[in-house]
Amino acid sequence: MRRNNKSAISQNALKETLLFTLPALICVIIVIYIPFVMAGYYSLTEWNGISKTPIFIGLENFKTIFSSGSPEFLNAIAFTGKYTMLFVVFTNIFALGIAVALSKKFRLANFLRGMFFVPYIMSMIIVGFIWKFIFTQGFEKLYEFTGWNIWALSWLGDDKLAFWSVLFVGVWQSLGFYIVLYIAGLKSVSTEVLEAASIDGATGSQCFFRVTLPLLGPSITTCIFMAVTNSLKVFDIIQALTKGGPGGSTYSATLDIYREAFQNNRYGLGSAKALVYFVLVLILTQLVLKIFERRDVDL
Amino acid sequence: MKKFIAMLLMVSMMLTMISTAAFADDSAEIYMFINSPEYADAVEELIAAYKEVAPNVTINYETTQNDYPTLLKTKINAGECPDIFATTSGKEIVSYLDYSYDFSAEAAAAAMTDPVKSVMMYGEEVHGFPIKGNYFGIIYNKAIFEEVGLEFPTTFSELEKACEAISAAGYTPFSTGFAEWWVYKHVMQHFVNAAGDSEAIVNSIVAGESTISDHPMIYDNFFNFIDLVVKYGDAKPLECDLAGEEAAIGTGKAAMILGQGAWVEDDILAIDDAFQLGFNGYPVSEDPADCMIIAGSDQALRINKDSAVLQDVLDFVNWWYTSDYGKAWFTNVAGVIPPVVDAAAPDKEVVKQGQVLEAEKGAGAVSIVYSTDSFHEACGVILQSYIGGNVTKDEACAQIEAKWMDLDGTK
Repeated sequence: MRRNNKSAISQNALKETLLFTLPALICVIIVIYIPFVMAGYYSLTEWNGISKTPIFIGLENFKTIFSSGSPEFLNAIAFTGKYTMLFVVFTNIFALGIAVALSKKFRLANFLRGMFFVPYIMSMIIVGFIWKFIFTQGFEKLYEFTGWNIWALSWLGDDKLAFWSVLFVGVWQSLGFYIVLYIAGLKSVSTEVLEAASIDGATGSQCFFRVTLPLLGPSITTCIFMAVTNSLKVFDIIQALTKGGPGGSTYSATLDIYREAFQNNRYGLGSAKALVYFVLVLILTQLVLKIFERRDVDL
Repeated sequence: MKKFIAMLLMVSMMLTMISTAAFADDSAEIYMFINSPEYADAVEELIAAYKEVAPNVTINYETTQNDYPTLLKTKINAGECPDIFATTSGKEIVSYLDYSYDFSAEAAAAAMTDPVKSVMMYGEEVHGFPIKGNYFGIIYNKAIFEEVGLEFPTTFSELEKACEAISAAGYTPFSTGFAEWWVYKHVMQHFVNAAGDSEAIVNSIVAGESTISDHPMIYDNFFNFIDLVVKYGDAKPLECDLAGEEAAIGTGKAAMILGQGAWVEDDILAIDDAFQLGFNGYPVSEDPADCMIIAGSDQALRINKDSAVLQDVLDFVNWWYTSDYGKAWFTNVAGVIPPVVDAAAPDKEVVKQGQVLEAEKGAGAVSIVYSTDSFHEACGVILQSYIGGNVTKDEACAQIEAKWMDLDGTK
């Protein structure tokens, strides 16, 4: 009797779960899974994205990627790798630092939290255009006023500097999001533990590195994981700032895929590149998750 | 109450359905999705005028510039190919042959001027019509040239001297727009034209039968020209875009701008309405006869051959290209170079000077259309690396040849 009841409840729960997730599931299937499967099909074809009949060519596109060595794709992946590494390091260090400062009680704390969050709610494209204006017109005016050489550098027109400009704007824009996550994490660090530590004679920095930081473990895992996935997807900020230039020096992997599919009119090859990149990202994110999972257990 | 509202809605919905079904017989809807939003107001006027001629035809006009090709491809793949759509003229027709209607038998095709028509052809078939004709060349500030006491240079060595004089007078000789990939194609076509039969040259490089170094006009003259304009150009050449060029020449800082044509005149005059605009070809060599402007059209509107209202679309296009209103529209409403024969030219400096130059020296072909924009974008990227000092001239040429063969080769 009891058992029956239980199974009836769990069946009801199952129904409810299905019912509530169904709308979201349908949306996700339509906009993500179906296109994903279709991309899988197109990656096996030669198609310009326009003509009525894609030609089936088997694994030819993948051969092109791996054999003839598409140097542009490799460069784009190298660029994305470098961007991801620095993006993860900079956003997390700065966000943590600022979060610690802003979680102290002082007069403008709430206002400043808002200020840091504003760039994050602006569209990436708008942020890109604003900074493009600052880098070109703004820096020119600053140079006229100050005469400092740093303003006279071609921040978007020099292929080495352009990387740092893109990275800087990317970090600046998303900082607010990570600050909020860290502030939430800091709030959950129990004050009792910190008090106990300081009674035992721990200095401020010891308190931070030995107590707060380890207790922030889950927040750090979340933030790093988010930063990795977001920076691997970087697209719009580059499109608005440099369009991959100058001289193709700031093409990210996603931008290169877009270029292949829509500018070079090679939808098939573009889809194949997208799949290869998908596998790469999958492996990478799983690795990151594994590493931090293990650390979580240690804490 | 709710029931009553619901009933009312139902009844009104059914009424509209019946009424649309009843009038569907002789009315037609044309879906026109094109780029060039700068002519949106003019096109709206054209459509309003056509409404008086053919009251039953409704033209749904939509326009965008940003990412137009991607949006068009999306629509085509969704099975909603617009009745009238736009692509670049020339070689790109190959990609769109599945959808494009050959209207060589129509009156509109006969009304086109020859330089325009030549880039709308696929074999003997006519596959497009432009919204405007175009002139390409160097736009310069006459006042600055007067101040330094020079005529516009028509040979390369004169250009070098002019640059020295202009920069000594405290102006920037060139604003280049080298951040834009399409500026390079507009410049390079003048050198390809000067090298001989431009179509044959492009095709031979694409086929791997010749290299850029076989054509000194491109290998030497074009690259020397690039070196010169970088030397005498903007402080940050790879940051300067179209808006940068317009600002530089409009505010009287720069003497010449590259890669532009009739389309920037209004913008420059908006910055300074007393601007003395000069227009001429590129001093590509030591022969003044080579310094030619280019006339033609790099954009084409195409008609969907599977359109449900094909005859209505053709009627509209024929009216546009042959009626008195339509012909005058190019000049008076849109203010562009008319792509049709016997129509008056608009009151624009670039057009007036262009027509004088064309009559005097002739005009080159729009040889950018012998390659696809896929190639031109890749080529722009390579030339940016060359200007940035990351590749040598020979490396750049080898990369350009490879891209030409890869992207425009037989496929």
